[in-house]
Amino acid sequence: MSTTLTKPSRPTEPASPGSRPTRAKSSSWFTAQHKLAPYVFVSPFVIMFSIFGIYPIIKSIMLAFYATNGPKSQVYVGFSNFNFMFHHHDFQIAVRNTIIYTLCSVFLQLPCALGLAILLNQKWLKGHSFLRLAFYSPNLMGTVYVGILFQQLFSIHYGLVNRVLASIIPGFSTDFKWLGDPANVMPALVLTSLWLYVGYNMVYFLAGLQAVDKELYEAAEVDGANPWQRFWAVTAPSIKPIATFVLVTSTIGSFQFFDLPYIMLGNGGGPNNAGLTIVMYLYQQGFITGDLGYASAVGWTLAIGVLAISLLQMKLTGSMKGND
Amino acid sequence: MSVQTVNTPPTASPIGRRASESMGKLIASLILIVAGVIALTPIVWLLAKTVQNKDDILSCLYFAPISHWTTENYQHLFVKTDFGHVLLNSIFVTDVTVITQLFFASLAGFGLAKYEFKGKKLVMGVMLATMMLPGQVTMAPLYDMLYHMHMVDRFQGLIIPSAVTVFGIFLFRQSILQVPDELLQAARIDGCSEFRIYWDIVMPISRPMIGAFCLMAFMGSWNNFLWPQILMHHDYYFTLPIALNQFNGMYSTAEGSMGILLAGTMLSVLPVMVLFVFLQKEFVAGLTAGAVKG
Amino acid sequence: MNLFPYGKAAFSMFTLAVLSAGWIFVHPAPEKKATLTYWTFSKDHYDAYQKLIPDFEAQHPGVHVDLEIVNNNALAARLQAAFLSDLDVPDMTELEIGTAGTMFRGPVKDIGFIDLKPRLEQSGLYDRYVQSRFSPYTSRGGIYGLPQDVHPVQLVYNKEIFAKYGIDPDKIQTWDDFIAAGKKVTIPGKQYMIELSDSTTGSGGLETIMLQRGGSYYDPNGKCAIDSDIMVKSMEFYVPLVAGPNKIGGTTGDFYGATWSKSVEDGYIASMICPDWRTLFVQRGPTKMAGKMGIMPLPAAVPGGIRTSTWGGTMLGITKRCKTPDIAWQFAQFLYTDQARLAKNFQNTNILPPLKDAWSNPAFSAPNPYYGGAPLGAMYAKYAPSVPAQYTAPTIDTAKAKLGEALIDCVKYYNDNGDKGFDEFVRAKLKEKADDVRAFQARNPY
Repeated sequence: MSTTLTKPSRPTEPASPGSRPTRAKSSSWFTAQHKLAPYVFVSPFVIMFSIFGIYPIIKSIMLAFYATNGPKSQVYVGFSNFNFMFHHHDFQIAVRNTIIYTLCSVFLQLPCALGLAILLNQKWLKGHSFLRLAFYSPNLMGTVYVGILFQQLFSIHYGLVNRVLASIIPGFSTDFKWLGDPANVMPALVLTSLWLYVGYNMVYFLAGLQAVDKELYEAAEVDGANPWQRFWAVTAPSIKPIATFVLVTSTIGSFQFFDLPYIMLGNGGGPNNAGLTIVMYLYQQGFITGDLGYASAVGWTLAIGVLAISLLQMKLTGSMKGND
Repeated sequence: MSVQTVNTPPTASPIGRRASESMGKLIASLILIVAGVIALTPIVWLLAKTVQNKDDILSCLYFAPISHWTTENYQHLFVKTDFGHVLLNSIFVTDVTVITQLFFASLAGFGLAKYEFKGKKLVMGVMLATMMLPGQVTMAPLYDMLYHMHMVDRFQGLIIPSAVTVFGIFLFRQSILQVPDELLQAARIDGCSEFRIYWDIVMPISRPMIGAFCLMAFMGSWNNFLWPQILMHHDYYFTLPIALNQFNGMYSTAEGSMGILLAGTMLSVLPVMVLFVFLQKEFVAGLTAGAVKG
Repeated sequence: MNLFPYGKAAFSMFTLAVLSAGWIFVHPAPEKKATLTYWTFSKDHYDAYQKLIPDFEAQHPGVHVDLEIVNNNALAARLQAAFLSDLDVPDMTELEIGTAGTMFRGPVKDIGFIDLKPRLEQSGLYDRYVQSRFSPYTSRGGIYGLPQDVHPVQLVYNKEIFAKYGIDPDKIQTWDDFIAAGKKVTIPGKQYMIELSDSTTGSGGLETIMLQRGGSYYDPNGKCAIDSDIMVKSMEFYVPLVAGPNKIGGTTGDFYGATWSKSVEDGYIASMICPDWRTLFVQRGPTKMAGKMGIMPLPAAVPGGIRTSTWGGTMLGITKRCKTPDIAWQFAQFLYTDQARLAKNFQNTNILPPLKDAWSNPAFSAPNPYYGGAPLGAMYAKYAPSVPAQYTAPTIDTAKAKLGEALIDCVKYYNDNGDKGFDEFVRAKLKEKADDVRAFQARNPY
């Protein structure tokens, strides 16, 4: 693949059949396909996207005002879906759970991920890529499998977590109920997702840290800044774009929390619905009870909430207009 | 280390500083080791448990003596359940999905990166807008639509709607933007058709990004739970996550079933891990490509 | 021109895709060749019926019955989804008592099952059943499921532990007697008199106790009855058994499985609530206890009250999609009314049929070696006629969930405050949950 403008090895007359048609004929086809190319390349995607991406979005706005009996019949109900939703005790619980989970996620996972990334970024560290693999491997397991695994680990009496804790902490009983006690369900879920996602966020932070200009650090050291001051003066501003990215995606992801609690709590919301999340509520109402209209209403409520919060976050962190 | 100025902090004595440095390194190493152990323990536990017989599984804390190790869990997995069939389903759905996504996303990404055309801004704007929407918004109408298309409880229903990934397109667009335009111009002058430029030039250059994308798409499809759960009813069409979840609910406390369940889990996570080992570097590069810049 | 420009990883995926596609093409989804597809959620039923089907097919040449086992957690959802999407609807299906009500949502014409009342009356079967067993499968006058069982409940107890503490089961007549004995036996954390859970999931207990006392989720008209006086009193009776300083009830979580088996063998649980189906679980799980377990009737709530309750239940329904409802009906009869089958079924599952006249069959009085030669069937049959009714409504799953929540809240309150203000708390909590259920019921636009 050369970058020169001419290739001396190519003759201008057709040397063998099928190599190139005559210049005159090929030119119009050539320019035609050059002009058409972008449309041809992009259109299959655009078509599929319109059918399976755009159309459902529009339809769901409509559906939100109906109550359905599965995909077979619908009844127009106006705002009654939203009305019921906001008064429904279960929905309120789902919102509360989801918000608590998101807050824990953000304020627990992200600092841990950042901390690990900083530690991992130290120059003197050996075994860097092994450690990185180790921290990231939880995320390679799918949420379903992590759910199954941790359901076993958190089980009473015989589960690993209880047995280890009982041997370390005096007075800790192996009968401690994690997933059976409404008060402990959320901690168990938060811990599991901490295990699952810290590595993922850490990788982003690590990349951000490695992209920081070394000279800035050296300049700060020359000025006599201690590590703590160096962090706030150099590191923090440099990783701001990636930190914002991680923050926003983490929040959006946390709001969509479904797989882990669903699997760990036995395909339901758990005792007293302590593990019921908004998406789980949507799933139960839409696909088990069968009211697709109500599910759309819940979906849109979630979407608007998520959008609002993401925009707020981006504004607060002073990020520039989304420039993916 | 550095020139001492008036601003140096009180622990100025060289010995003191070196001591606190090695103290710091020790603490840091300890933290990393503990964190590493915590990160790996459950996975190793899983692996260890899959080779234990049904008594050891409950009584042993972690490892069982080597003489007790057995492959019976894996044997039972394939003999007593239709794990083999479900595994095949997952392989089929995931691989077809990844290839389809790869083709559409790379082609469209190329189109959006290297060309100007009417409506480009509109298309990109709409796609960007939809990226902000969580996927759950469209689940209900999509199901309704697929029901009327007779694609419910069929593989097509899983594969076709996921052929479009906006995320994938942006990833490819970002990466293809880096390809120097001169390369394309040179090819055009040689008479290459646009498609050949894509096929012969741009794609081979983008192999690292393709590797990263393949891994991400593979992970996404292989581990996908909610949508297949909604769509698939008959267990002939189940993929691994749904089948394992069902097995968990049905048999988790039955005699000898924990071993089978854990063996199935282990086998289900293995492919992604293996793929990751091979595609590590590309993956990290690709993952952070969009984030660091933007 | 490159054959495949995407690199090795993508190429291997492409190859796998092609290979797996080929395999799937060669092994397509099995066509529905069967005359009757029958869904069950119980492995025991599945195994037992597989043995019986060849006889039926021999009697009805050309008929092929296809048994399919579906996860219990998923069966109701799958059935509902099948009814709604017209896909994969079986001809006959079993359905668990707790979820049967959800199939009655919507107008009567939308119910996916055939009304069996005419057939029952015509064949005279209706009177042969224990009547109370129709209640959970009845909606607006129609009967949509054949009860497969009665499931009377007794207590299975550890003879050695009882003997060690000098407890004579014959002397225990009421729950007060039982609780007094329980205080002697219970060592908190190590040994509990009876297996009772402080939640409604897993090993349960609340529902059985409340049914014995006449409590229920709904009244016969389908109105929510969770906050009735009887229910309040049942809750106030139950909670101190599983919470607080005098608790005699413990559990390891589930009512079957390896953990539970071990706890029975270890003596962690001295007695447990056992409907007829569970006696088989006991035989299969804690096998080391063979010969050491005895059976006694449930203590009465009041002197002279009924000494049994019920736990669980399965119905058999014929769906409207079935093209051969007569053959389906015959199959149902074959499984559940033929005397020889019933005896064989009992031998395989320990389950009593709901047909009163069947119980005199000598097979039911056969001594059961695991229980020291006790005539299991006859013992359960004695209490079968007094099994309480269970009324239902489409929101039954919500009602159950809400009662579960109430229990958890009441347990917490009792642990924190004991008897102080307990009555007011229970009343208020049950009313709150009942109102939740009523709001849900009111929402149904159909």
